[in-house]
Order: sequence, then C-alpha cells, then structure tokens
Amino acid sequence: MLAATIDAPTRTRPVLEVENLKAYYQMNYFGVSREVRAVDDVTLTINRNEIYGIAGESSSGKSTLIKTIAGAITPPLRVVSGSVKFDFGGSQLDVYARPKAMKAARWRHLSYIMQGSMNVLNPVRKVRHAFDDFAFRHMGLSPAQFRSRVEGHLKRLGLDPRVLESYPHQLSGGMRQRLTIALATVCEPEFIIADEPTTALDVLVQQDVLALIKDVQQRLGSSVVFVTHDMTVHAAIADRIGIVYAGRLVEEGPTDDAFARPQHPYTAHLISSLPRLGDVSRRKALPGKPPNLSDPPSGCRFHPRCPLAIDRCKVENPPLVSRATGRVACWRAGEVEVA
Amino acid sequence: MFKILRDLLRYNVEFLIGFVLTAGIFLFALAHFFAPYPDTAIYLLPPDMPPSPEYWLGTTSRGQDVLWQMSSAIWNTMTFGLTVTVLSRLLAVTVGMVSGYLGGKWDEALMTVNDTLIALPNIPILLLVYFVMRDQMNWPVLALTAALLGWNHDARLIRSVVLSLRHREFTRHAVFAGMSVPQILIRQHLPYVMPVVFFTAMNNLIWAIGLEVTLSVLGFSDINRPTIGGMIYWANQHQAIIAGIWWWIAFPIIAIVILFLGLFLLAISVNEYIDPRSRLSRMGG
Repeated sequence: MLAATIDAPTRTRPVLEVENLKAYYQMNYFGVSREVRAVDDVTLTINRNEIYGIAGESSSGKSTLIKTIAGAITPPLRVVSGSVKFDFGGSQLDVYARPKAMKAARWRHLSYIMQGSMNVLNPVRKVRHAFDDFAFRHMGLSPAQFRSRVEGHLKRLGLDPRVLESYPHQLSGGMRQRLTIALATVCEPEFIIADEPTTALDVLVQQDVLALIKDVQQRLGSSVVFVTHDMTVHAAIADRIGIVYAGRLVEEGPTDDAFARPQHPYTAHLISSLPRLGDVSRRKALPGKPPNLSDPPSGCRFHPRCPLAIDRCKVENPPLVSRATGRVACWRAGEVEVA
Repeated sequence: MFKILRDLLRYNVEFLIGFVLTAGIFLFALAHFFAPYPDTAIYLLPPDMPPSPEYWLGTTSRGQDVLWQMSSAIWNTMTFGLTVTVLSRLLAVTVGMVSGYLGGKWDEALMTVNDTLIALPNIPILLLVYFVMRDQMNWPVLALTAALLGWNHDARLIRSVVLSLRHREFTRHAVFAGMSVPQILIRQHLPYVMPVVFFTAMNNLIWAIGLEVTLSVLGFSDINRPTIGGMIYWANQHQAIIAGIWWWIAFPIIAIVILFLGLFLLAISVNEYIDPRSRLSRMGG
C-alpha cells in the first residue's frame, strides 16, 4: 500500500541524511561554562530497509547522537550546526528546520525503542492504555478497528492479546521488552530507533528479541538504527555498522567487511576483544579511557590510546574518507591487523 | 464500578467496616429530610428530657430533640467538610502537578505562593475573615476560606511525586509519541498521584471537620445552623455538663468519632485498590 504512493526516484533515496551534525551540551553553572561535544561533525546516511548498527563504548556519544537524530533533545543539549533530514514516503522532513511537522511524524513514521525500555510502560496502568495513548492518535482508525489492529499485531509478534488487560508488573522482562517493540512498531513506521533494547536481558531472551526486531523490520521494510556497545549483537543483526568514538564517526561499512577487515585501529580493537571459539588466550584491554568530551585531545581523538599513533595524529584530525566498501577516519587506515 | 465495590466488600475487611460505619452515619444524616420538626426551631419540646422511648436521645435545654438535631448537624458538617476537601484537592492537584512537571519559572512562582500560605496561621486568619464578614458570614464563604488555606502541604507532596515521574522512561516516551502536557499529566501521571490525593483527602476532611467544630464551638460561625460544633457550643452555653445533660454532648461526639473512623478505614482500603500490586495480591489476580 505504501509502495504504491511512492514514485520510483524517492524509493531509492535514503530515508535519513545527517550532514555535519554538531550537538553540544552547553552548561553554565555558577558562572563556569562548560561545553561537552557529544556529537561532533557526524555525517551519515541510512537507506531504506536496512539495519544500521551504531557501536562504541559507554560515554562515546551514541545515545546523544540518536537523540539528536530523533529530535528528542532538551537543554542543555543543543544542536550547534548541521542538519537531519528524513524522507518519509516522498515527503522531506528537516528535523530542526520544521519541528512542528516532525512532531506529527513521530511514532507514525519514526518510532523509538528507548534505553531501559523495560520501564516504558506506566506501572499503574494497564498495557492497553499505552497503545491508546501512544499510537491511537496517529492511526486514524475507529476504536474497534484500532483494537483489532493492535491484537493482530501482537499475535504476529507472538504475544497473547490478553496481555493488553494486564499490568506491567504481571509480565516477565522478556514480555515487557516484546511489548515495547510491539508498541514501537504498531504504526508500521518507516524508521525505528532502538537504543540498547537488549542490554538488560539475558542472552536467551536477547536472541529472541533480536530475532523479533529483525523479523518486524523485514516485514515492514523499515530502517532500523540499532545502538549498542555489544559487538556480538551488531554481528548478529546489523547490515551496516558505524563506529563512534568520542562523539565522532570513525569507521563505517558493511558489517561483514568491518568485522573481517577493520580499517580503523579502534574498530580492530573492539573486534579483537570478542571471545572466539577455541581461542583461550587472554584478551588485551585497551589502556586508558574514552576522553573527556568537554576537553577532547587535539588532532585525532583516539591518538592517546592508539597503538599506531604517529606525530601527524596529534595535530591533524583525519577526515572521514570513502574507501572501497565504507568510510574511515584514520591517517593509517588499513594498516591495523586484528589480533 | 459496582464490581469494584463488590470485590472490595468481599475481600477487604477494612473496607467493609469503614463502609458500614460511614454508610450508617450517612443514612442517619439523610434522615433529617424526614425530621418531624424544623431543625432551627427551639422550645418546641419539653427541655432537658433524658433518653427515653419517646425521645430516643433525649432533648436539649433549648427544647430540641437531640436525635433530629444531630441528624441535621452531621449532614451540615459533612457537607462543609466535603466542600473544603473537594475544593482544596482541586487546588493541590493542579498546583502540585503543574509546578512539578513544568518546573522553572512556573515552579518558582507557584511554590512561592504555596510556601507563603504554609507560613500563615489558619485560625487567626479565619477569625479575621469572620470579623470582617460579620453577618454575611455563611458556610460557603467559610468553606472557601478553609479550602484556600488547606491545599498547600499536599500541593508540595504531589509536586514531589510528579518531579520524580517527569524523568521516568514512560514520560519521555509519552513526550516522544506527541502527547501534550495536559494529556501527560492527566493520563500518565494522575493515576500515579491518585493514592496521594485520596490519602491527603482523608486527612484534609478530618482537618476541615475539625476546623469547623473548633470555630463553631467558639461561636465563630453561623450559630443558628445546626452543626456538630454548633451543638457543643449551645451545650456549653447552657452548661450542659454541670447541669448533668450529658446526652447533649456525648451523642454528637460519638457520632463524629464513628464518622472519622469510617472515613479513615475507607481511605486506607481505597488506597489499596488504587495500587494494582497490593490489590491483585489480595484478590488473587
């Protein structure tokens, strides 16, 4: 139905284009102003019908990046420059130029599975009310039609429609997580942001939830931005992967290539830290910690921790340049080997 | 609604007792519509008659039947208390939620008013209002004044609850999904705040009735309108205790104690109904 309304050229256009996005936390407490550059000059595009993984360690700015993309920012976080443009069914939407239109598109076209999404359901209200509150307004259906749509959607996701009549505390963690995915996908959005949806779950439930997200994504043909620090999850689900370090995108490419032939030393390190079957050698930890984003190092932000760092890295920031299959920001790209 | 009431009566002993006591007092108060004598008439009956088959609770020194006087008195006192409670709850919920959710300048302005009112002593203000109003003083004016003095502590309490709800995931989700501020407050946060509202309503009702009794006992209200405090006022004026007319004072006090007890039990059991976790554990799903 949706495909019929989209003409040929727009169908191939990427669903999201982010250009030179800079979003800083600007704080001024007791006369001391601080600026935390959590998203610094990020450019990326996300195509229709793909799962894009965003990886990086804690406090690297992953969550801030996607919050900024979703237009869900509150002070002190501010967009300093750059643009975020969505393309839903042929209609262009600039998140920061036209915030009103963006507000109407949320949930209908762009939905969000939040970090700690186990607590997304209001503990004192039945699950049914969450669907009524979040999705009903966007669907334009009569209450009876809406109800049957929700029940059908839950059944397809392997949930008993009777959960609608229960309270969140009566459900298991895995069921709650499935429900939040159902809640985020009931409007059949073109773009879904998943912020660490599997972090609080054990591996079995995690596998289940990942399969569910992949399944929903394929059925709806939507694009998913999947954020997690867990590289194994990215290997399992993402079509393309972007590595974020200290607020910058340092490498991007198809997941298989990035895992097989990482170009950036940081990516190589993330991958080599994964346990491998039959390999009993001790994993080396990367010394140091992610830089303080209010006072980042000069040049390449990774250079204090980088085993390949040269003098040039300390003064000049490497640009994100296109390579055969992806993009990488490193002066010595491709020289690294996976341990 | 009927099903909720049935379940509460079946599974909750506190509710059952509270319901019976409050309903009993309420029915007794309702009976004043069928009273054989007008409730403001005096010297209709022989004064100072002890309880007897003819006058069940005796008569007062003013020649009134204690039974029918009390029926009117409870009705009027309850009306006053409920009016104060409803008005002050509306104020407390509105101010508390708006201030807690919006924060910033709204919070500052509303809480300044709130804290100023907390610092003001209630009884002297009510007395001042009484002396200014004099003959125009009637119970709705008194109720309004009391309501304006009775919301501030609870507004702070509700504000603190909403302050914590504002940063929960479900609020962020609701904002993201495009719910407006009034929708979030009414649909997402109000159910959470309701137990606080109920419990403070109980305290407020007791406070309001107590305030009415205090003012009436001192004679600072419309003394011709029968209320529980008014009955005690007249009993004191006629030195009922010294004269041994104990029934004039004892029965109103017993009635008000039963009413307080019933309301208190109702409040704690209704609270349990509103919190789904404790309700389901008691009723088994």
